[in-house]
Amino acid sequence: MDAILTFVLYFALLIHILLAAASIWKVWRGDNIIDRMIGAELTSTFALSVMVIIAIVTDRSIYIDVALGIAALGFISTIALSKYAADEQIF
Amino acid sequence: METIFQFIAVLAILAGTFFSAVGVIGYYRFPDVYSRMNTTGKVGLFGSVLLLIAAALLTPLGWGKATALILFLMLMNPVTTHALASAAYRLGIPMHKPIRDDLAQAADIPPENGD
Repeated sequence: MDAILTFVLYFALLIHILLAAASIWKVWRGDNIIDRMIGAELTSTFALSVMVIIAIVTDRSIYIDVALGIAALGFISTIALSKYAADEQIF
Repeated sequence: METIFQFIAVLAILAGTFFSAVGVIGYYRFPDVYSRMNTTGKVGLFGSVLLLIAAALLTPLGWGKATALILFLMLMNPVTTHALASAAYRLGIPMHKPIRDDLAQAADIPPENGD
């Protein structure tokens, strides 16, 4: 069971890194501004997922704290960017 | 008991990776912004939360932090998706083959709110 778990973890790590690269590509070549902002939000979500997988691989729970920080930063930046894109001002 | 936890964790990791891959495939394949937001919302909830369930089962000290992060993600993801959709509607980004538009005649969305 340990070998299966290790294989599945490294497979999921590879898949998530490839998906993050695909999201960064859509930030570069998106259709419009909201499409690119969706790509940026997806990139932050995949960074969170990669941190969670690294926390399982290395068996250290400090990486879940890093994932919590990434989640908070992605939330605040997405809200601020969408407010800025809609109203052309943040506050 | 350890083997049961590892079995559930393997299933959760595989399901989370599947939902993330399907979300990004839909992000590339769907025609407009509003239907792309349908699939990318699934990445934030199902993909991340299933991976965090596996992390809560497998890391011995991290289950509290993983549960807090699950609750935070379940509060956070609908808010960001609604903010992005509202910004897209206010910017006038067109829909692909719209059937009807309830926001156009129902409530007047002011271009800038008054606060």
